[in-house]
Amino acid sequence: MALTRRQFLKWAGATGIGAVVFNGCAAPDAAILVQSPLDIPEDLVTGRDNYYATTTESLGYATEGLLVRVMEGRAKKVEGNPDFPLNTGKHSARAEALLQSAYHPDRIREPLVRVGKGGPWRRESWDSAVTRFTDLMRGADPARTLFITSPTAGQMAAVLQGFAAGRGELHGFEPLSQAPLRAAVKNVFDADVLPTFDIAHARFILNFGADFLGTWLNPVHHARGYGEFRQGTDRRGYLVHIEPRMSLTASNADQWVYNNPGTEGLLALSIAYVLISERRAEAGAANALTGGRGADALSAYAPGAVAAATGVSAEMITKIAHAFAEPARGPALAIGGGIAGAHTNGVFNLTAIYALNQLVGNVNREGGVILNPVFAASRVTASPLRTWKQLVERMNDREIDLVVVRDANFVYGLPAALNAAQALRRVPTVVSFGSFLDETTALADLILPSTTPLEEWGAVVPEPAPGYAVVGFQQPVIRPYTGNISTGDVLLRVARDLNIAALPWETMRDAVRDLARQLQQGNRGSVVAPTLEEFWKRALERGGWWDMGQRLTGAPAPRPLPERADPEQVSDANQFPFALVPFETPGLGAGEGAHLPWLQSLPDAVSTITWQTWVELNPHTAERLGVRQEDVVLIESSTGHVIRAIVYVNRAAPPDVVAVPFGQGHAHYTSYAANRGSNVFDILEPAEERETGALAWGATRVRVTKTRSRQALSKLEGHWDSVQFADSPIIEITRQGQSNGNGTH
Amino acid sequence: MTTLQFQENPTPTTQRPPRHHWNMVVDIDRCTSCRACVIACEAENNIPINTEDRFTQQRVNQWIRIERYWEGEFPNVKARYIPMLCQHCDNAPCEPVCPVYATYHNNEGLNVQVYNRCVGTRYCANACPYHARNFNYWEPVWPEDFRNYLNPDVTIRSRGIMEKCTFCVQRIRRATRGRQDVADGAFAPACVQACPSDALVFGDILDENSKVAKLSKNERHYMVREVLGTLPSITYLKKVEADAL
Amino acid sequence: MNNSLTKVMIPVVGLAVAIVALAVAYFVISAWWSQPPPILGFSQGPTQPIAFMHSVHVGQDAIDCQFCHRTVATDEAAGIPPVSQCMFCHDFGRIDGSQLSAEGITADEARAEVQKLRDAYYGATDANGQQIAPPSPINWQRVYRMPDHVQFVHSPHIQAGVSCSQCHGDVSKMQVVEQATSLKMRMCVDCHRQNNAPTDCTTCHY
Repeated sequence: MALTRRQFLKWAGATGIGAVVFNGCAAPDAAILVQSPLDIPEDLVTGRDNYYATTTESLGYATEGLLVRVMEGRAKKVEGNPDFPLNTGKHSARAEALLQSAYHPDRIREPLVRVGKGGPWRRESWDSAVTRFTDLMRGADPARTLFITSPTAGQMAAVLQGFAAGRGELHGFEPLSQAPLRAAVKNVFDADVLPTFDIAHARFILNFGADFLGTWLNPVHHARGYGEFRQGTDRRGYLVHIEPRMSLTASNADQWVYNNPGTEGLLALSIAYVLISERRAEAGAANALTGGRGADALSAYAPGAVAAATGVSAEMITKIAHAFAEPARGPALAIGGGIAGAHTNGVFNLTAIYALNQLVGNVNREGGVILNPVFAASRVTASPLRTWKQLVERMNDREIDLVVVRDANFVYGLPAALNAAQALRRVPTVVSFGSFLDETTALADLILPSTTPLEEWGAVVPEPAPGYAVVGFQQPVIRPYTGNISTGDVLLRVARDLNIAALPWETMRDAVRDLARQLQQGNRGSVVAPTLEEFWKRALERGGWWDMGQRLTGAPAPRPLPERADPEQVSDANQFPFALVPFETPGLGAGEGAHLPWLQSLPDAVSTITWQTWVELNPHTAERLGVRQEDVVLIESSTGHVIRAIVYVNRAAPPDVVAVPFGQGHAHYTSYAANRGSNVFDILEPAEERETGALAWGATRVRVTKTRSRQALSKLEGHWDSVQFADSPIIEITRQGQSNGNGTH
Repeated sequence: MTTLQFQENPTPTTQRPPRHHWNMVVDIDRCTSCRACVIACEAENNIPINTEDRFTQQRVNQWIRIERYWEGEFPNVKARYIPMLCQHCDNAPCEPVCPVYATYHNNEGLNVQVYNRCVGTRYCANACPYHARNFNYWEPVWPEDFRNYLNPDVTIRSRGIMEKCTFCVQRIRRATRGRQDVADGAFAPACVQACPSDALVFGDILDENSKVAKLSKNERHYMVREVLGTLPSITYLKKVEADAL
Repeated sequence: MNNSLTKVMIPVVGLAVAIVALAVAYFVISAWWSQPPPILGFSQGPTQPIAFMHSVHVGQDAIDCQFCHRTVATDEAAGIPPVSQCMFCHDFGRIDGSQLSAEGITADEARAEVQKLRDAYYGATDANGQQIAPPSPINWQRVYRMPDHVQFVHSPHIQAGVSCSQCHGDVSKMQVVEQATSLKMRMCVDCHRQNNAPTDCTTCHY
């Protein structure tokens, strides 16, 4: 054997002296190999990076066009795609964390089959697992079969719908439903798809409850506009935010106003009353909205009459109304969402809020609400809680034989009062396509683990679109790391065996190409090419296709304002003195991001807390309850369920509400999420929004009890003194109106 | 406010005339505290995962962080945010205290940390008025699978080494290698590239037409703790406080 | 044992121990500092899965370095050619090693080595032509390795006209490639200084 320096070092390292002298200097074997691959595709060249465009709608929200840096076949970095209309080169922390999702150590790496109901798992080959699934589908009774997915639009939706048609019911599941928002948009604008907002050109934004910079719809898209709203021109925009909690967006507002949960609609109508009675509104719109009765129709909403119920002073309501309609401050834009649509009267609230836009006539205008054209694509929207209650009941009554789940963790995301876990256990066969063992997948009998977004084909139709049609093309930028097969490919393979005529495609790639063919034949938009091959190449390079030329113009006719609907009291306010305001965090969302350590370690905007479940208490409230920061408290609702949370004394917390973040409290979902914090869905009342039947996740009332235990908060705050000194402030502030107050770039 | 007197010309470290002076402008009025920059930085620079322990022990490693300051009490309360990272001071307090010359100023205006020289005295971290330096209290570990996404352009720092924002010097090297001039905005550090509201802007201050050169002359410009005379390479633009309704 | 012999033995044994200790120390320190002294076979390059001879390819056949190490002028890494590239000559060019006349290897041995290459590309077969192993990449032993805190990039060096042999030695004379230079930082810095190349730490360390 020829001795080399390396072998010498290895040998020396093995001896006593060497262990001291050479500790840590031996290279791992992988580092001293250099490989001649059989053939060398461009992206395997050592040290050279390539960027591939793709799109994703996963992790619960927001479509972002991405460029992924790939070196030697491995994804290294996610960046925003500068061409993609929604995020124009920028990206969120969640998009970055797709890397961790692809290379997650706790991914399910091969199909798993349960031996007997509730028995142990057994590994199975892909072939026999797919055959097993095919056999299940052959024998399935369509009346007793459920297909459950996260809401999706585009070719995945087309495959799901084609597969489920005649074979079972297809239901969408999203933990925090956008159904009230959709209903309100339908009521006010007669539109079937969500609108977008021209935040960049608006100069006065009146926002009710929508954390649009943090978690609501597409935060990156909104933040693109927000930067311009603040400093894009020499007239700085003004943001008024009304919400029962200081969210990320609230903390960026020029004026944050606390309101009692569920009273946003009252406030909006009160503002409408001021505008109409003082003739500040567009006369035609005012007439149409009130059915020709003018301010009289709204007299019950006079600021003085709603001040007590809303918790906002009459003076403030009037001020907001005046500012909203002040032409010198405009264009003005009213946005509503999040907690404003989360009470039992959510649709009423949001309808009243969006109607304000009609009063200042800023629909489909610069700086206003921009309605989206309907792009003909397959869509699966979420079924409301009302439907889910029936589904759970049918499972409990053993009326369901087969449940097929894709990317929908309803065992975690439905209120514990429904006991979906127990219901699912009564279903004879549950099939899951989960890449991770979440709470729903943990109850499956057959797991066909899917690929992650960086590894699969797809064509995504984002919602909301940016005012014109957009299709994002998703291509695998890396090989499936664990050899998993994407859900679309599995479904299409099974569809072939079952002879499903509605699905002519062999693979997801074919399905995406089919959509590309339609777009190419349309011969318009951002990519115009004479042949499909060229269109395909260029569309994949750019990450998608969009049609900026075709936008909607003209405002839809204003419709009458909604009938008053007050928030229902779902439990006794004496027994349960606090309104519970659950909230999403930018990292974890409603729990989808909890398995990724980057998102777990992403500090919450205001509290800077990570990895835990905390409860935000006003200092005076904490004093009254006799609790200090880092005490552990129990939070109980009338459902009888209790969660534990660590007290974070937040000086921005209103006194009568307690705010607890969604996201933690997973029983499974990888080692990074399991047995960490509490799940707020556990204590939510299964209350329904009146019109849509969606989960009214903002309607729960709770009581807070002290325990004897304490737990350190894992927060960024307090690492260093964060105190502003008068003589040398960290954050310098200039008042608007002073010579340097208007940013002149 | 008086500026403390320091030596006029900090000692030049190399013989070459400067070709670039990298600067950043942070517009606090645009920053929303979404923290996309934080994760983009962690991904680009192979920063170990900040576990719960690291937060409770106050040993978090973030090269860029968003600090939150309170003003007032409910209901008239304001939360203010500021992105804080190494200021790449031209008169850096961290540099003269290093006994092994592991940190110095290069001729492109970067405050450089040389990992292979560092012996971990942490004097520099004590000297830094911005708390911008992070010490590796633990050997960095990733699950084997996560190592796939590590950036091969960036050295993994072992235990006992001081580290901090480099302005993504690996990207500067890639962009300027073999070139005399680089177009403004042709590349950016990971945080700047991610920032959805364009609160962060990066560029060469010696290029008069660059975005940073123009923005740093904005009326709202200031430098954090300017009174210390550290001559930071990061210019902040003041938060604008609008009148109450 | 008598006293006088002990008296003689103490300095002799002591001296011997000291010499051995010094030798070991020299060995350890020089190995640590750069490379061990070229005795006991220490200077040899690692044993490679195929006895590829640079002396034949570069020396006899005069193939340019960049014919195989294609990305050296454009990228960070010089690049190890894929097996398919070896097959240009060794399959389609019908060079099977039997034409070889070189020192230290017979034509038969050479043919056996080329067969290893073909087996890697097509998959090994048994005597009946039955495939017994799938095609598989070749894992070479790395000869030059930089510490992790050094970011070395080939392309600017080639573009600046540095010849490969300046660091890699005269590979045209090497049957087995070995590390020809110490790769210590002084070597890099000396050369950078002589050629007025940047010596800022962040040129290589980041």
